[in-house]
Amino acid sequence: MRRYAQGYFIKLWCVLSGIIVLSLISYIIIYIIINGISVLNLSFIFDSPKGMPLGSEGGIYPAIIGSLYLTLIACFFASILAISTAIYLLFYCNSIKISNLIHLVIGCIAGIPSIIIGMFGYTLLVYQLRLGRSLIAGGITLGIMIFPVIEVKVERIISEIDSYIISSSYALGVSKTYTFFRLVLPACKRDIIASIALAGSYAMGATAPIILTSAVMFAPTPKSLTSPVMALPYHLYLLISESISIQNAYATTFVLISILLTINIIASLVAKTGR
Amino acid sequence: MDTIININSLSVSFNNKSVLKDIDLNIIKNKITAIIGPSGCGKSTLLKTLNYMTYEDQFANINGDILFNKINIKEIPKEDLRRRIGLVFQNPTPFPISIYKNMVYGPVYYGKKDKKSLNILVEEKLKISGLYDEVKEDLNASALKLSGGQQQRLCIARALSVEPEVILLDEPCSSLDLKNTANIEKMLKNLSDDYTIIIVTHNLSQAKRISDYTAFILNGELIEYGETQELFTKPKDERTQEYIDGIFG
Repeated sequence: MRRYAQGYFIKLWCVLSGIIVLSLISYIIIYIIINGISVLNLSFIFDSPKGMPLGSEGGIYPAIIGSLYLTLIACFFASILAISTAIYLLFYCNSIKISNLIHLVIGCIAGIPSIIIGMFGYTLLVYQLRLGRSLIAGGITLGIMIFPVIEVKVERIISEIDSYIISSSYALGVSKTYTFFRLVLPACKRDIIASIALAGSYAMGATAPIILTSAVMFAPTPKSLTSPVMALPYHLYLLISESISIQNAYATTFVLISILLTINIIASLVAKTGR
Repeated sequence: MDTIININSLSVSFNNKSVLKDIDLNIIKNKITAIIGPSGCGKSTLLKTLNYMTYEDQFANINGDILFNKINIKEIPKEDLRRRIGLVFQNPTPFPISIYKNMVYGPVYYGKKDKKSLNILVEEKLKISGLYDEVKEDLNASALKLSGGQQQRLCIARALSVEPEVILLDEPCSSLDLKNTANIEKMLKNLSDDYTIIIVTHNLSQAKRISDYTAFILNGELIEYGETQELFTKPKDERTQEYIDGIFG
């Protein structure tokens, strides 16, 4: 009887936790939709911010484009580094000490507060390398932030492949590089793309790393990698912190959340069709 | 008789735990050699050492020499050695791509690009492995859709696709049913005209059925090696007699 009650209690607890989390998330999303959708129209999406103070009228088009560019650059930069690191660790690194050290470093990077990564990006990229507040500086800084997320996932995805399949490839005399590009990568590229996309949505929502490195209050859609950009989360921060327009802030949040949800849904669809 | 692989006083240990002790073994060309022995006696390690796999294990300590066609395998480029000495694992390991791509994976790596000759090669090797008639309609289907026995025959055909001289098989039938086992045994018999085959098995009747020579390994030591017929009927060593009588193992 007691054992039965225990199981019942644990089940109840799990279900309750699930309901609480789900209702919180749906509350946030529904609240944003209700408040944002009244301001939202095509011109809000496709116009530049206008009015005095800036942002009280007009739209957020440059911020949408800026955020997408920043995310793309961050994903590009981080995934090259992350995939290379994962390949090195799984295929070439023979020393457990070195592998442990690299994992420790990756864990540390994951633990750095994002504002500190932002300051690092400012010191190195904006100031020392004279890139200025720019798309490229912000993109790389965000890339540093999402690098550990992608690396950990890619390493897990690749190590889930049956090691005997990889050994069978070596047993044919085939090199590691060929094995990786012709066998391992095609087998898990969908999962890798999905994890990069998820990390990208994490980057798109991050504000701290871009405050000092690339985001500005107003800029047209960026023409080059070295031009400063507007970004959705930073624009949102300004709208609220300067009390410019609560209505526009809701609409901006709605756009940002819609983009993130879309990326998430597409990513999980991509991963699912691969199976 | 021609020998193709000469193993001279080979010892292998992992983390100071001895797995193979002072093995001397000469493998005869174009014959089937069975390696028998109880689980954990070092049979698989021996196979993996021949294919240079053990050398890549950082915990392995290897002494002694292995000669392949009279050349020390340490002097042969690793990839060349593995192309010439193929290895098939215990469980089928089809690549998660189409049957056709499984078959051309190795040849394309070695520079064979001509579509026509690739097609001929795929057909030829699949016919040898007795799989061609079963899959010829659907070479572009995923190899994962094949049954276990078909997958294992595909793996053997894939090992043959890079034209090896020796094929090592590590208990290739242990996860298969009787019918598939019979298929593979028949195929191995046919293969021994052109290839040297070394098969690890703990199925004694299988060793008796298909092999020309048998080596019996116990606790990392080579106890007895000789013609299969002789080893099973008049074993010289007491321990061999006990093992084939089923007293242990």
